[in-house]
Amino acid sequence: MANPRFEAQLARFFYRPDEDVGAWLELAPEIAEAGEVAEELPEEFLAFELGAEVYAVPIGAVREILKVPAITGVPRVAEHVLGVMNVRGEMLPVYDLKQRLRLVDAPQRVTGPTDLPRESRVVLLKDPEGDAGILVDRVQGVVRLPLSKLEPAPNLGADRRAVAGLGRAGGNLYILLDVEAALA
Amino acid sequence: MAPPRALSEFVAEANEVLETLAHDVAVLDAQRGREPEPDLLNAIFRAAHSLKGLSGMFGQERISTLAHHLEDVLDALRLGKVLASDALLDAILDGVDVLTLMLREASGEAPSDETARRATALTETFVRLASGGQQTAVDVLDEVGLDPAIRSVFTEYEEHRLRENVKKGIALWKVRAVFSLDDFDQRLAGLNATLKPLGEVISTLPSSQPGDETSIAFDLIFGSPRPQHEIETAVQTMASVQPLTNKPVRPRLVSEPEPDAPRTRPAPRPPVFASDVSSPELTPLSSSSPSGVMQGAEPSLRSLAQTVRVDIARLDGLMNVIGELLTVRANIHRLADVARQAGATPLPKLWGQELQKEARALERKLDELQAGVLDVRMVPLGQVFDKLARLMRRLVRQSGKDVHFEVSGGDVELDKLIVEELSDPLMHLLRNALDHGVETPDRRIAQGKDARGLIRLKAQQLGNQVQIEVGDDGAGMDEGRIKQVAIERGLVTRELTDELERRDLLNLVFLPGFSTRKDVSELSGRGVGLDVVKTNLARLSGLIDIDSRRGEGTTFVLTLPLTLAIIRALIVGVADRTFAVPLNSVTEIVAVKPAELRTIERREVLEVRGQTLPFVRLSRIFGLQELPVERHFVVVIGLAQERLGLAVDALLGQEDIVTKPLGGRLKGVPGIAGATELGDRRAVLVLDVAALVEELKRPQAAVG
Repeated sequence: MANPRFEAQLARFFYRPDEDVGAWLELAPEIAEAGEVAEELPEEFLAFELGAEVYAVPIGAVREILKVPAITGVPRVAEHVLGVMNVRGEMLPVYDLKQRLRLVDAPQRVTGPTDLPRESRVVLLKDPEGDAGILVDRVQGVVRLPLSKLEPAPNLGADRRAVAGLGRAGGNLYILLDVEAALA
Repeated sequence: MAPPRALSEFVAEANEVLETLAHDVAVLDAQRGREPEPDLLNAIFRAAHSLKGLSGMFGQERISTLAHHLEDVLDALRLGKVLASDALLDAILDGVDVLTLMLREASGEAPSDETARRATALTETFVRLASGGQQTAVDVLDEVGLDPAIRSVFTEYEEHRLRENVKKGIALWKVRAVFSLDDFDQRLAGLNATLKPLGEVISTLPSSQPGDETSIAFDLIFGSPRPQHEIETAVQTMASVQPLTNKPVRPRLVSEPEPDAPRTRPAPRPPVFASDVSSPELTPLSSSSPSGVMQGAEPSLRSLAQTVRVDIARLDGLMNVIGELLTVRANIHRLADVARQAGATPLPKLWGQELQKEARALERKLDELQAGVLDVRMVPLGQVFDKLARLMRRLVRQSGKDVHFEVSGGDVELDKLIVEELSDPLMHLLRNALDHGVETPDRRIAQGKDARGLIRLKAQQLGNQVQIEVGDDGAGMDEGRIKQVAIERGLVTRELTDELERRDLLNLVFLPGFSTRKDVSELSGRGVGLDVVKTNLARLSGLIDIDSRRGEGTTFVLTLPLTLAIIRALIVGVADRTFAVPLNSVTEIVAVKPAELRTIERREVLEVRGQTLPFVRLSRIFGLQELPVERHFVVVIGLAQERLGLAVDALLGQEDIVTKPLGGRLKGVPGIAGATELGDRRAVLVLDVAALVEELKRPQAAVG
């Protein structure tokens, strides 16, 4: 487990590394390029509510938006991991961002849609370390934020590192989420 | 550089060729001391040749060069230019090893200087061996007066076979047959089959006689010790038989050559090869002519085996689909049940019955499909056994001990993934048997045993499991010594060892850091012990047991599931959660009242059939709510040599499940192997029994 990212790539591309590792070496440069492109901030963001705050993630980082599925709690994981959900046969973790970002004090226990308000959704994010869902209170929709006007994140203390920056549009404030940091 | 696709194709293809090669070489090695079978030598030669061509095409110079030299040696061997000496066979075995290493390096492993050094040394050896011992000047074929005109049509190899037959005093015959062009290929094959038991068909030459438009004649050059009338009886009306040589063949016959042959024969046609056919009617012959196959001159691009190579990930994909179908099936069953029992009105009741019937048909077909896909994943253990046999022969030679290595059950099939994972543990056990088990010849004789030791590797299928035994007839394990070492290393306390039964004492050797011999030899070295074997096996949901008798030997018995892809699982409830426990690690289920539990050093234990097991509450180790219960359901886990009682609140049934990993971010959760879906699509966690057992053995975990 020296480099978890490396492991995730291997696991994704090859089930049998002993047979296919040669091909992987050939593919490696392409993976690196794809990563760079994704890091460039696009103009369209998906905006969603967590409590009273509005957050946004680059639309390219969103795989899909799900109605809250049945969530199975997993023992021995961090409090902000609600559990795993079954997305058409794929088992994916669901994160409680409000807990992660300390928007609430006590962890909530969620096992399915009945525990939550009707507007709650799970936003499934793409991530090189493994796709993961985040539970949000409401999805607002897509907002366009001019890249040039994005503000850097104000220094709010060391544990607020999941904020990548701020964006403003139509008098609203959008907190840009650093997906990788939020899921760490 | 070749594109990645091509490279992986090459590696897969070359691997296949190399496996065939390795298998045949192992057979050749087993026949050491006897004259090699021509068919076997040819097969090995062809495989080396294919490998050379293949690696050449993909620019794999190193492999191509070594394969080329190997091919030269094999060619010299099959042409009888060199003898199958021990040195030569060792070099060939070594060659297979080095080729395997180089192929691994070609597929992405870091190249090692060691491999390069071995390859260079081998190349020199091959060159030296191939040029060794030239054929004696006196040609026996001249001595028997073979028509030089006939001789000119034979290939070097065919000539060598003629010579070999003559040397042994076997007479050569010309079997002339005329077949209709419509079905000559079948009939020629039939004739070949008839002749084969009587001798060796050395060459098949098409003949210009009778020159008829609707038929074709062949001369089969045939070596047979049987008298002419017997061959004639065998072929009946199919063909006529004549002696090929002017003089009777006798071993070591010396006579002056006769200047001209009394029997004339039309100018013989050249032997038939694909590229060398002079008349169009004869074209199909190339496919059925042995001489065409024997020729190694053109690299064959055809694959050696009639198989399709499939990335195992694709099979896993299919398996997942089947897993989902199983879920659908369970749903349909439930719906049918509901409809049948909602039977206030007759219509839904009828529907329910129909649905139930269809669901059962679906179930049967699904079972077939599941069995089919599982079957595709199955490969014979022989793939690993062959490699181990090669390794063992070399190790035995190095060890200076006299050991007979006996392998059986190579045809038993197991899931590909399991077979791959088995080679290291088996190798380790075999090395142990050679190093620590079998005694030196002197010692064996002193104990009244046969000087030659025996190491057995045996596999057999028992229902849904496969049992593999690695046994030796050596000294057996010394319990006293095991006890002493375990105490010395602080692995157990003296008081505890006094209480341990024999079986548990033997099992101490599986503890990390245990090794009964200080002078670890080069062979089994590396400082890893049986604990690694056990860990590897546990990962495969396997059990390992030891049976050892002083002075009589030691046998390790490995029990493995046939497959890990779809497994049967016990569904259990704990607090308000549901978990799946793989059934292959469950030995039994018992119910106990809380009052029946006892504690040893404050750890809860449970007695099942006279055996005391650690008792562990799943709710406690997972930090879940502990419900007050009248009785505990205890799932008894048997994994490798460990036993453990796992308490759960409820037993909910059995299901066939496909375990899927928990997305990349959660894969390291201790005690959880993954998740699966049951009827309601909700994810259900699958316990990682091996990890739990391992964890509970650590003292600090007991408080948990």
